[in-house]
Amino acid sequence: MKPPLGIWAHVCGSDLVRDADGKLYALEDNLRIPSGVSYMLENRIVAKRVFPELFETCTILPVDEYPMQLYETLAALSPRPGEQPVIALLTPGVFNSAYFEHTYLAQAMGIELVEGSDLFVGEDDCTYMRTVYGPQRVDVIYRRVDDLFLDPEVFKPDSALGVRGLMRSWRAGKVALANAPGAGVADDKVVFAYVPKMIEYYLGEDALLPNVPSYLCTDDRERRYVLDHLGELVVKPANESGGYGMLIGPRSTKKQREKFKKLVVADPRNYIAQPTLSLSTVPIVTPRGPSPRHVDLRPFILSSSNVYVTTGGLTRVAMKSGSLVVNSSQGGGAKDTWVVDVEEPR
Amino acid sequence: MLSRVAENLYWFARYVRRAENMARLVGVGSQLQLDLPRSVKFMWQPMIDTVGGAGLFRKLYPDAGSAPADVDVMRFLLLDEGNPSSLRRSVDTAREVMRSIRDALPPQIWEVVTDLHMFLGGDAEGLVTRRHRVDLISRIVDGCLKISGLVTATVSRDIGFQFMQFGTAIEQADMTTRIIDAGASGLVAPRKEEDRETFRNLQWMAVLSSLAADQTYRRYVRRRVTGEHALQFLLQSDTFPRSVYFCLTRMQRMLGVMPARPDVKTKLDSVVNSIRAADPGALVRQNPASFMDEIQLELGVLHGAVAGAYFNVAAA
Repeated sequence: MKPPLGIWAHVCGSDLVRDADGKLYALEDNLRIPSGVSYMLENRIVAKRVFPELFETCTILPVDEYPMQLYETLAALSPRPGEQPVIALLTPGVFNSAYFEHTYLAQAMGIELVEGSDLFVGEDDCTYMRTVYGPQRVDVIYRRVDDLFLDPEVFKPDSALGVRGLMRSWRAGKVALANAPGAGVADDKVVFAYVPKMIEYYLGEDALLPNVPSYLCTDDRERRYVLDHLGELVVKPANESGGYGMLIGPRSTKKQREKFKKLVVADPRNYIAQPTLSLSTVPIVTPRGPSPRHVDLRPFILSSSNVYVTTGGLTRVAMKSGSLVVNSSQGGGAKDTWVVDVEEPR
Repeated sequence: MLSRVAENLYWFARYVRRAENMARLVGVGSQLQLDLPRSVKFMWQPMIDTVGGAGLFRKLYPDAGSAPADVDVMRFLLLDEGNPSSLRRSVDTAREVMRSIRDALPPQIWEVVTDLHMFLGGDAEGLVTRRHRVDLISRIVDGCLKISGLVTATVSRDIGFQFMQFGTAIEQADMTTRIIDAGASGLVAPRKEEDRETFRNLQWMAVLSSLAADQTYRRYVRRRVTGEHALQFLLQSDTFPRSVYFCLTRMQRMLGVMPARPDVKTKLDSVVNSIRAADPGALVRQNPASFMDEIQLELGVLHGAVAGAYFNVAAA
């Protein structure tokens, strides 16, 4: 199985943080279904409305070409090159927390917003949309549905969000899926720890951005270190998202540390630990005036015939004072981030 | 256009039109009630029957008896969430249907639907009292007309628009037959036989005004309101936009710009023929109820054909 252009992860959102030493580190990669790009676009619209003077006097690099770049990334995957591709965004539906983003992106790209029940796979293994004109073939699907729900024929048999036969259609090369099924293995935080070594092995280069150092609990020596230093480290489950199931050592109680000790010993493959970083802060406005809050930055990377990196990104802010949890599912906020071109001041 | 989106647009338009007609129907009942002398009794039961709610009403209001109280009927027809054809359920369903196609319609429409939804979910008890009933009804009718206005003024004339217009027309045709049904089956029960004719005509006037047809009727028919003429006007007028015939011919014209499906055309032509062939005089003498039922069934078959042709696209 070789996906078009040999690319599995067409859309990637990597979380970057700045530590007390002032250096940027890669904290984790999101390759399964990275989300949040619509907030980046909306935040920029708001920032332009609030600070028009700053945008006039500084050269702030734009982010608004993202939907067009994404469209081209998707179009390049079409199994019928030369023809106007039919592209659809597959959403789990209105009850998904990212539904706003799905609608936003589908509209911004001028593609169809479809749910699993809108699609079917024919006997010719092609994927079709049900339209008022009859079935219409779909070339590329930007799927925002998790792997396990994609196709009840292969994965969860009771999934109502997916399309029966979609994996068959994909394997036959009749439809392109972005991101390709399986790209989520890179979201595993244990796999992530090996990324610098992968770069070295496959590309013969050093990583430009260092990883936040990770301790692998499968390694006897490192696990012993983790268990002895639980009070200083952040322990994360390998395959969770949304900032759930973590232990933040310096803020933990003895009871929590005891609990994690048992969890790590019972299933070492499922945990990694990282030093507690002193994440950089930005000011936010509170009822009592400006106040610092911790942030991280998620630029989006599109890989197709070309590679495109947003000149900006989703900046997530922990809204609680002192908190290191920036996830929106846990009440985090968002900010606009500017990449300012200082070479050519106006 | 995705079948699901077209179907939701179609149902959205239907539910909005249904809510508007329901409000008008109840409004007319309330008016008529005030016009009647003491010797003539107003009957709510036909109005409950016409929306197919007789059994359900007995179940939800077991103590109501054969002459149900005004307030119970109002609550049942307008606000009861347990009644699938209540005004409130129509508005809420329209809103739920729109939720997944919000990007296909202008945002102001969502605002109006949400406003109606909040209004009906608000101080319900206060709304059904006779004092506030007029306000309630005019607010609903205004809201629904505002949506129709926004649709005609701001929605792009693509295929989705055709499905909305089709939904509006089929719902209006259906509701018009139901309102005729309610009117013809005797909303009033005179105690003296000699009063019967007078109040029958009063009742037909009420039916006309519930469909906002009273003024147009006078201009075009120029005759005293009688059952026969009112029925002819509401069934067969080719200019009044709420007559059954007008709605059907409008659908015939729309089929010209929708993807051709012979089955839909056959079913639609068949209803048109039934309406054309109808003899209003004979119908009034025999009681038009069973004819109206037939038309409603035919419209149901037409809906089935539309759903089969455009909404349930099978894996061929």
